[in-house]
Amino acid sequence: MPNINIHNTHIISDFEYYAPETLQEASKLLKELGKDAAALAGGTEVIVKMKEGSRRPKHIVNLKKIPGLSGIKETSDGIEIGALTTIREIETSPLIKEKYPILYQSAKVLGSVQIRNRATVGGNICNASPCADTAVGLLSAEGVAHISGPDGERKVPLVDFFLGPGRTVLAPGEILTSITVPKMAPNSKSTFNRVARASMDLATISLGAVATMKNGVVDDVKLAWGTVAPTPMRTKDVEEFLKGKKLTDEVINETAELASKSIKPREKGRSNGPYKRRVAKGFIVETLSKLRES
Amino acid sequence: MITKTVHEVLGKDTVRSDGLAKVTGREKFTSDLYLRNMLHVRVLKSSHAHAEVVKIDASGAEELGATVLTVDEVPDVKFCPRLVSTPDSTFKDWSVLTDHPRYVGEAIAAVAAETEGDAQKALEAIKVEYKTHSAYFDPLTAYEPGSEPIHEQILLEDTVVKPERNVACEVHITEGDVDAALEDCDVILERTYTTNRRYHTQLETKSVVVRPEIDGGVTIWSTTQTLHNSRLLLHEIFGLPMGKIRIVKVPLGGSFGSSIQVNTVTPIAVAMALKTKRPVKLTYTREEDAHDHVSYGMVFKIKLGVKNDGKLVAGHLDAYLDIGAHQIQAYPLLGCMVGWWVSLYKLDAKSYDSYAIYTNKTPACAFRGYGNPQISWMVETMMDELAEKIDMDPVEFRLKNIIGQGDLFWGQGPSVKSLIKSCGTEEILAKGAELIGWDDRPKAEDQMGRYRRGIGMGRGFHTSSAGAPVPSKVVDFSGAIIKLNEDGTIDYITALMDHGGGTEDAHAKIVAETLCVPLENVNIIRADTSTTVYDVCTHASRGIYSGGGAALKVAKQLKEQIAQFAGRMLDAEGSALTFRCDDEKKQGVIYAEGIENREVTFKELAYNARHKNWGTPAVVDSYRQPACPPHFTGYFIEVEVDTWTGKIRLVKVVAGADVGTVINPKLAMGQVHGGFAQGWSMTTMEDMVYNHDTGDLVNKGMLTDYKIPYASDMPDLEDFTVFFADTYEPTGPYGAKGLGEGALNPVAGAIANAIQNALGIRFYKLPLTKERVLAAIMEKEGQ
Amino acid sequence: MKLNIKINGKPKDFDVAPNTLLLNLVRDDMDLTGTKYGCGIGECGACTVHMDGLAVLACMVLAVDADGHEVDTIEGLSDGTELHPIQQSYLDEGAVQCGFCTPGFIMSTKALLEETPSPSEREIREYLNGNLCRCTGYVNIVKAVQAAAEQMK
Repeated sequence: MPNINIHNTHIISDFEYYAPETLQEASKLLKELGKDAAALAGGTEVIVKMKEGSRRPKHIVNLKKIPGLSGIKETSDGIEIGALTTIREIETSPLIKEKYPILYQSAKVLGSVQIRNRATVGGNICNASPCADTAVGLLSAEGVAHISGPDGERKVPLVDFFLGPGRTVLAPGEILTSITVPKMAPNSKSTFNRVARASMDLATISLGAVATMKNGVVDDVKLAWGTVAPTPMRTKDVEEFLKGKKLTDEVINETAELASKSIKPREKGRSNGPYKRRVAKGFIVETLSKLRES
Repeated sequence: MITKTVHEVLGKDTVRSDGLAKVTGREKFTSDLYLRNMLHVRVLKSSHAHAEVVKIDASGAEELGATVLTVDEVPDVKFCPRLVSTPDSTFKDWSVLTDHPRYVGEAIAAVAAETEGDAQKALEAIKVEYKTHSAYFDPLTAYEPGSEPIHEQILLEDTVVKPERNVACEVHITEGDVDAALEDCDVILERTYTTNRRYHTQLETKSVVVRPEIDGGVTIWSTTQTLHNSRLLLHEIFGLPMGKIRIVKVPLGGSFGSSIQVNTVTPIAVAMALKTKRPVKLTYTREEDAHDHVSYGMVFKIKLGVKNDGKLVAGHLDAYLDIGAHQIQAYPLLGCMVGWWVSLYKLDAKSYDSYAIYTNKTPACAFRGYGNPQISWMVETMMDELAEKIDMDPVEFRLKNIIGQGDLFWGQGPSVKSLIKSCGTEEILAKGAELIGWDDRPKAEDQMGRYRRGIGMGRGFHTSSAGAPVPSKVVDFSGAIIKLNEDGTIDYITALMDHGGGTEDAHAKIVAETLCVPLENVNIIRADTSTTVYDVCTHASRGIYSGGGAALKVAKQLKEQIAQFAGRMLDAEGSALTFRCDDEKKQGVIYAEGIENREVTFKELAYNARHKNWGTPAVVDSYRQPACPPHFTGYFIEVEVDTWTGKIRLVKVVAGADVGTVINPKLAMGQVHGGFAQGWSMTTMEDMVYNHDTGDLVNKGMLTDYKIPYASDMPDLEDFTVFFADTYEPTGPYGAKGLGEGALNPVAGAIANAIQNALGIRFYKLPLTKERVLAAIMEKEGQ
Repeated sequence: MKLNIKINGKPKDFDVAPNTLLLNLVRDDMDLTGTKYGCGIGECGACTVHMDGLAVLACMVLAVDADGHEVDTIEGLSDGTELHPIQQSYLDEGAVQCGFCTPGFIMSTKALLEETPSPSEREIREYLNGNLCRCTGYVNIVKAVQAAAEQMK
């Protein structure tokens, strides 16, 4: 039986505080402290969870004193976004808006301006919420997570990064340092669809789509969905189906059907399977119709 | 010399007097107050929907240095926290703390500690042993024969009452022979409507600061809509003489009815202050606040009969109220609701059976409109459906049946009827229809695509206060004090609370208008229970009609006194002198018309009165309103429904309001805008839903999961038109009536009717979430 | 923990526990109660302050994260003698009812107009979607922002 008396959104519980100045120090700390520790980036998720009473970390490791984890830079293969880059920085980056529009679209819908000024892309990804907007955008852009830990560095494509609600492949002591996104084809089109209850709200269902046409048929398409499964997900079967096809009405409708069967929303609840499947179809039709027109 | 004519102050936009403090962040609300040596109080809340507390082990809390307050340390008094009704109709089933919690969140104990963090730790260190009982979350289930009683016995005044089938109270009314009348009808419609349970989401959570005085008294700053009822109740509970209970007026961060009753925080804090002999502060967290109060959920079974020529004939209404675990004002509400119903349109015969039913949920209290938004939603959508059945234009159908100018209406239930002396409904409907393009409105059957458009309308009213020539079961009067300062300015003192609408500024304008002084010369004094006379409460849209009426009454009397003094000074007949406002001198001036050099400023008069020992021109008086004239409103709304997501977009909103004389146009419009926003969210967004397994709110009181509109959810400026009808209420101060609640009441009906126009689908359950709308669309498509 | 934060232009030393929230620091330690607690979890914006010129929610910022930074609260805009144009326009347009949300809105408005001096109505509404008002329905607030933008040109 939950104890209603542990909720207190006015203050948060005590903790030991650490502000390491290097990645190595941070990794070591996080590994040693284990499950009782939480990494702190923007704080928009950790602090809220503490206030809601769902998390009471005994230790908080502030990552913001570690240099080099923030910023957006172009690389030879594409773009690299430091994990501590705020969502607002992504939203207002002219480079991203021009060359990686899906990231702009999925960043601007997250929370409010005030929240985006603090929330980081690393936090959004590592919290692994099924409705994480920016994560959905990055997923459709084929982002790759760069991880640094006590045993060295590794890369994990985002599509393999999420294990379940709130769970990622990060091992104890591992820290997400940046996300790279491969160069987007200049003729690619991006759309981000989303439905919610109010103008500032978690998404009930969202779709990030990046697609390119060639010779009148679909050359490449990536579809990433939010809040239709325990984690943000891609519907690769739908993407496969579309490759090489001409966007006729039949194809569009068939794709919509396929997509609605491919997503895995909960059947019961306030916003349930039948609702999300219908909306998913609508998103696909809208997205592909726009693609066809362009 | 510049002179002003009468009615220069009224009707002009002026900056509100508390505005400077509010925009600079200097205004101190209760939750901002801090006293030295203060303890922080937190409430220990029941985690069970229905249980008995077998044992509380507070040793852990005490070891941490906290003071613990338990049920045996508070007065064993049953009370009703809302003292607007007369005692003979006041049901009492509350206690300060309880060992028999009946909803998740009910206070069973409290702790006080030096810091908030300590208080929280102390709270968590308390161990409680419960014996749980089964709980009810649906009123109709709680009402079933053989159900377990949530309250074995309660009090009605001082008589013990044993609720049966969990009925807290009931009201039955019949006028005319409904069955016979229905036989004459060509069309009879029977429908069931279910509303949502809405949380006020006022921005300031309920708070209180109590300072115990050395003589055993208490000084209290709290979130309240009524200073004097707070004092009355605390006197009742704690037995302290009223002179030792001082409730100080503090600005209120929104309320919408949630502080008509003395909030649960206040008696608890008083008890703690008396125990610790130190100042204490108790502020609810948002989630505690969301567990503390909520609006009444209602189920209506309505039957209405109409003739083919459009005459509404008769009706029967069964109403079931979900009042939660305790009564706040269920009984008067049941009476008001029948009044709302039968005052919208003429009915030759009507019958009403209503039951207020206990459930193991947050106790329900008034929320802007007090049942009228729910009733209006039901009636306005019924009217549309009936109009369709007899193939009549919905606006025309309404005009054929409205209760308006010269008609009798049931002010606050059947015991108080009055004659309507001003009514702008016809003007509102005509102009509204024109502005929205009513004659060109869409048809559902002609629309095929993804987006469907629809135009709908709804109209309604609300009373301006609960006044009448005779007493009723509702206490309603106001009082004010007014005096002339030596510098010629006026001190105006009222206990009436302003919770945002600007009502005190309206009073100041009425005073300035009457006395012919510059508006800035009227000082609105923030006082307390000791330095004001009784005002019942700021509710029932009575701030201007009743409070302003009191301001007018005392201002007129002060004017007389000043005139007499002026007469003495000017060697003239006091009552023959004229008043004018002098902008250059920034003073009111009294003069003998047509005669040179026979004039004196307020300031000169005041100094003279002091030097000559004549006394202070001052008045204290009370005002009982002769009526509770309805203010009328109407909405014409265009929506666009996305049939792929179920989302509804507001395309255009036209709102008309009849408030009599408009005292402050921008603030009056603000009431309409705000009322509309609440109506929109009532219709499409809000519902406090319970998890029947845990007994707690599904959203646990967190706003993440209780959405109300943000700026982008509202239509653009150019798509939202508000106009005021040209009316004058003869019984109101300078012709004014209320507005606060009428601004909300018709909105849900108008939106539902617009959606029906777009989709050809009617809904009977609120809120119309995107999921429900889409499910209904899919069901219709499946046919 | 010892901190130094520049609050409304004045540097100040603090010694607080690490779990202190910026909101409670300014309210309790400095009696700057203009910044309000409305929900504690980022839904209402009543606690909006500026940190290094960016609008943020003080209820979700640890005081230690403000160490060495500049924090501006509503009180810093005016001491009452002369109002900031945004404050004046909120008053003139009737955008203030109960007033509890007002400081948060004014701080968000200031951030908006600093970034976008001539915002469209849509931009205004989108920017202000982090602030809740239950009283006004936002109409007069939007008008106030437009009036302030005009004034500040």
